[in-house]
Amino acid sequence: MAREQPHMGDLLPLLESSDLHQVEEVKDLIRDHLNQDRGAVLVNGLVDYYLETGSTEAMHFLSSVREPHDKHLLDKMNECMASRACRLHTLTLLGHVVRKEPSWIHKIARFPLLLSLLKCLKTDTDVVVLITGVLVLIILLPMIPQPGKQQLYEFFDIFGRLAAWNLKNSGRVTEVYLVHLHASVYSLFHRLYGMYPCNFVSYLRSHYSMKENMDTFEEVVKPMLEHVRIHPELVTGTQDHELDPTRWKRYEIHDIVIECAKVSLDPKEASCEEGYSSAPEHFSAPQPLRHLDCGSSPYADFHSSCGSSSSTLFSTPRQAMTSLSGMQPPYRSPQGSRHQIGELNNSCGLKDPFWTPASVCGMTTPPPSRGISPTGIAESTRSSSNFPGRIHGTLGSSKGMPSFSTPVTATPPPTLSDVFSNASRSSGTSSPPRKDNRSLEYLKPGLVRQEPISELERSHMEAVETGDDSSDNIPMTLTELSSFVEEQQSAEQEEDALMQELLKITEDPPQLPSQWGLDSPFCHTTETLTGSQAPGPVALGLSLSHECHAEATSGTDRPEGAPDLFTPIDCPVPNQQSPPAPEDEAEAPNKAVICFPSPCGAATPSYEALFDLALPKAAPHFVRRRTSEALRRAGAEEGEEAGPGPSVGPPTPPSPLEVLDRLVQQGKDAHDKALKRLPLLSKSADWTHFGAGSAPLDELHTLRSQLLLLHNQLLYERYKREQHAVRNRRLLRRIIKATALEEQNSAMKDQLNLQNMDILSLKESLQVEQQRYHQLWEDREAVVTRLHSQIRQLQQGRDEYYTKNQELQSKLLECQKMTGKLEAELQKANNVVCNMGHQLSQLSIKLTTSESMQQQMAFLNKQLLLLGEVNKLCMEELQHSGTDTSKEQQMMLASSDKELERLRLSLVTQAQHLEAAQQRIGELEAHLTKKEHLVVEQKKFLEDVKAQAKGELQASESRYQAQRRVTQALQTELLQLYSRLEVESPATGGGPVPAGGTVQPHSLSVPR
Amino acid sequence: MAEDPQRNFRSAYYEKVGFRGVEEKKSLEILLKDNPLDVEKLCTFSQRFPLPSMYRIHVWKVQLGILPPHSDSHSLVMGYRREQYRDILEALKAIRVVHAATPQVEVYLRMFQLEAQELSRSSELAPPGEDDENFLSIAKSMEEIVEDPVDCYWLIKCFVTQFNNKFGDTVPHLPKSLEHYLNMEDSRLLTHLKSCGALTKLPYDPWFWRCFSGCLPESSLQRVWDKVISGSCKILVFVAVEILLSYKNKLMGMKRLEGILQFLANVRQFRSLEYLLQDVCMQCHRHSTSLSFKITITGSQGNGFFCSSYL
Repeated sequence: MAREQPHMGDLLPLLESSDLHQVEEVKDLIRDHLNQDRGAVLVNGLVDYYLETGSTEAMHFLSSVREPHDKHLLDKMNECMASRACRLHTLTLLGHVVRKEPSWIHKIARFPLLLSLLKCLKTDTDVVVLITGVLVLIILLPMIPQPGKQQLYEFFDIFGRLAAWNLKNSGRVTEVYLVHLHASVYSLFHRLYGMYPCNFVSYLRSHYSMKENMDTFEEVVKPMLEHVRIHPELVTGTQDHELDPTRWKRYEIHDIVIECAKVSLDPKEASCEEGYSSAPEHFSAPQPLRHLDCGSSPYADFHSSCGSSSSTLFSTPRQAMTSLSGMQPPYRSPQGSRHQIGELNNSCGLKDPFWTPASVCGMTTPPPSRGISPTGIAESTRSSSNFPGRIHGTLGSSKGMPSFSTPVTATPPPTLSDVFSNASRSSGTSSPPRKDNRSLEYLKPGLVRQEPISELERSHMEAVETGDDSSDNIPMTLTELSSFVEEQQSAEQEEDALMQELLKITEDPPQLPSQWGLDSPFCHTTETLTGSQAPGPVALGLSLSHECHAEATSGTDRPEGAPDLFTPIDCPVPNQQSPPAPEDEAEAPNKAVICFPSPCGAATPSYEALFDLALPKAAPHFVRRRTSEALRRAGAEEGEEAGPGPSVGPPTPPSPLEVLDRLVQQGKDAHDKALKRLPLLSKSADWTHFGAGSAPLDELHTLRSQLLLLHNQLLYERYKREQHAVRNRRLLRRIIKATALEEQNSAMKDQLNLQNMDILSLKESLQVEQQRYHQLWEDREAVVTRLHSQIRQLQQGRDEYYTKNQELQSKLLECQKMTGKLEAELQKANNVVCNMGHQLSQLSIKLTTSESMQQQMAFLNKQLLLLGEVNKLCMEELQHSGTDTSKEQQMMLASSDKELERLRLSLVTQAQHLEAAQQRIGELEAHLTKKEHLVVEQKKFLEDVKAQAKGELQASESRYQAQRRVTQALQTELLQLYSRLEVESPATGGGPVPAGGTVQPHSLSVPR
Repeated sequence: MAEDPQRNFRSAYYEKVGFRGVEEKKSLEILLKDNPLDVEKLCTFSQRFPLPSMYRIHVWKVQLGILPPHSDSHSLVMGYRREQYRDILEALKAIRVVHAATPQVEVYLRMFQLEAQELSRSSELAPPGEDDENFLSIAKSMEEIVEDPVDCYWLIKCFVTQFNNKFGDTVPHLPKSLEHYLNMEDSRLLTHLKSCGALTKLPYDPWFWRCFSGCLPESSLQRVWDKVISGSCKILVFVAVEILLSYKNKLMGMKRLEGILQFLANVRQFRSLEYLLQDVCMQCHRHSTSLSFKITITGSQGNGFFCSSYL
């Protein structure tokens, strides 16, 4: 490493070697080394080398440095920022690096480099460094869109400082720088306002509310504010919300740039992207078209002027128009006849709202954007400025290019597009009121607004004609100023001037109406326009033409038309928009006059004029100084000059960028003229010859840094253009997508229509079917009703049958009952018959028995008779025998009677005895029962008594027992006492005591 | 019943609407009019109805045999008893077992011991021990109920003697009987007590051996003892069951054995157990039917009330 590093350090100078092969080798070596090595040495070496030599190769390496080296690079640059000497180079390098947009660029916010950059911007006093730094900062801002609050306020402070710079240092610093600085501050303003509107506005509010800052605000910030519209975030956003890191998450860098551009009203800054044009597109559409036409007319003139000589001035516009219209058939120039304009407006009205410059120009594919680098054009113009045809060619080619609409470069196409966009915008703002007043027709406003143009045209044509006739007449018709100019010029220069004016004026008309529309659409008339507005452009145009004239006189070159070509394009812009104060108005011609005699002041006076325009309020004292000088030098001619140019109403300040553009172009003009004028002179001789610059070295230095600034500005603009290109590509893709979607939509619509048709036919068939269905339904209804009636009839019949049936059944039942009864009767009858039969047989049996009984009766009766006879016989016999035994019996009977008597008597006595005895027994028995009862009672009583006694006995027994227990207890106690007594007094000898002791219990127990 | 002119014709309805014991006093007076008192009837009566307090002591005396059935000899016997009491007391004073400062309950104890021949000699006299706790407790409760010391002593003596003779064998089985009834009434409480281990640790001694003396207020205790004296020791079981049931909620809330025992030891303080005893009577009634205890209807007796035996 240590060994290799010096080697690499040695290699670096070889990058600039003339040997291409060697350079390639060295490049490869360095590249390899960068890829392998992670150390800081090589990067540091490269930086040092770049700072020393400004080598582009080193710059390329440094700007394409990869990830691990970024830290070293940034650290190294931070180091270099510290020293005042290399600060500018470091900033340039930083600008290169930043414009490359390396992937690690977002890290820069964390490195001290950013802080030192901010510090530098806040403290440094070198304008060049400041401008470079500001441009770097502007480019850097979208890349680090989430700064801290502190950082943000540092940005604002930088803005405040630089904005105030112009005013404070106007005396000390070269004015050219101020223009540049102002442009950069303007860009910074746009960027800050676009990205952090709330914070920025609050900063502005706080910063410029202070009294000491009021001047700055009035002169610098206020004009800037006029170039921006109200940011939507001011309505919806808050300060904190703006600092929210998520806010910019979805945006890429170019998105942020465009976001910033959207809020700008300045055509140089703004983009006419979707959503931000305030007028409806169908209103704004015709305007661009017409302005394109108007814009195209200068080219036509240009073309004609180049192609043909100045002899046929009158016919040139038409020729140009026709030639252009040949190229772009639908778009007629306004100079054409009325019906052509009508056509144009019609076509414009019919045009779809998606209007793009590219499509208008018939360009479908964007050409490589690098192809027309402004430097190339500048070079070409510089190198071959002698050939107007060539210029025409470049203009023609560039006219159709996409850069045509972007104000990136300072070459003619952008200025044209400036005019164009400016006009479109102004028309956009002016169209709404017109819409209110007049009916919504495209044709009318177009026609009406065409009138001033034609009027102007007419006047100029007159002027030209008169100019053709006599040179003196021309200025009279135009202005006194122009007449003055005419006097100074030779015949051929007259033609040139005429041509210039014509160009200028033909270019003016489209912008003048727009200006008029912007300011006050209804008050201004063409007369006031021509009266008040015309002198301005003419004067300035003249001032430029004077320069040309001066050059022409010195150089005496015919092809000077080439630089002239720029002036008419440039001048109208500030003239229309610039609100020069009366002094300025007066000053511009003055200066032109002053500069005219002295060939040396070609560049500076023009800057001054521009400076006036750029800083209308800040300029006066500077201007006054210059004026006094000029007054001293100028003669009586001045008096004539001061007259013209009455003050115009409240003007819109010009964009600093435009001023810068003009500055660049004028500088280039001056340069070209200088080159042409002094082709053989050495530089020193040149400076000495001019003698106007106080010190040539100083001037040289100024010019160099100016060049540097221009380069920076250029790079910045190029960077912006690239961002726009990126965005354009993206938008194009979106458009393609959108068209595809549209086609899809239309296809869908077709399908929808078809389906609608289907639906209709289906509906019809549905109706038919419904009708059929209705018919069928009715038929069916009829059948149903008929069938219903039939059913009813049948039901009735059935009911009748039912009733009949029931009657019959009841009858049947009755019959059955009857038969049952009859059968029962039959049964009974049968039974009776049976019984009868049975009885009959029984009776017959009885009869037989009764007959036999009768026979027996008869037999028995006979026997009875026989027995009666026998009995009679027996009775007779008995009476005969009883008379023999009666005496004895009587005796015995008597005796027995007597005995019976006696016995009866004894029985009576006996019965009496018995009765007495029984009585006695009854008595005795009653007595006995009594006795027994008594005994029982006695027994009971005895029991009672016994129980009572027993109870008492028990009580006494228990008492006795208790007594015994008591006694026992007492005895034991006593015995115990005795034993104790014995133990205690054995000596005293208690002999009798024990005997008594034994007896005592008994004696005790007895008495109780 | 209805034709008995002596009785209040409303008595039939009193019982129906739950006013028990309206006619009891009268019934008892009729009973006590008999000359040889029918101890048997008195027992059934006191089983069935609460005794009026004015006759309680008299009835107890008769039931315990302190007074003979014959009312003629009552005064004589009572004289004997009084003398006996005096003699024993004198003797105890003589042998200095008791003195003026001796608590009356201990005096009763010593007298009882003397009669039972269990009194040790005065020199070796030990203070009342664990064994005498039952007697002392009963004596203390009795002392509250009875005013006259002679009556009191005799009632204590006879109550203790009768209880020990009659139920000495039954009392050890009462805890099982308690478990049985508790299971019938409320098995959850039983399982809770079992789970706490409290069932075996319940205060059986004060409940059964001391017949709740000290556990219940005297007014309630009298009524329990009515039943005990009249010959039923089952009443002790029912009272115990009722105590457990009436404090069921609190018992269920307690998990710790000590807590439960502590609580049951303090039952006396919770409320007068008048209600409880009514419940007990109801319970007895219920159980006597549900457990198909034999119910003897002594309808032939002139007093005409149902007498039921609980044992």
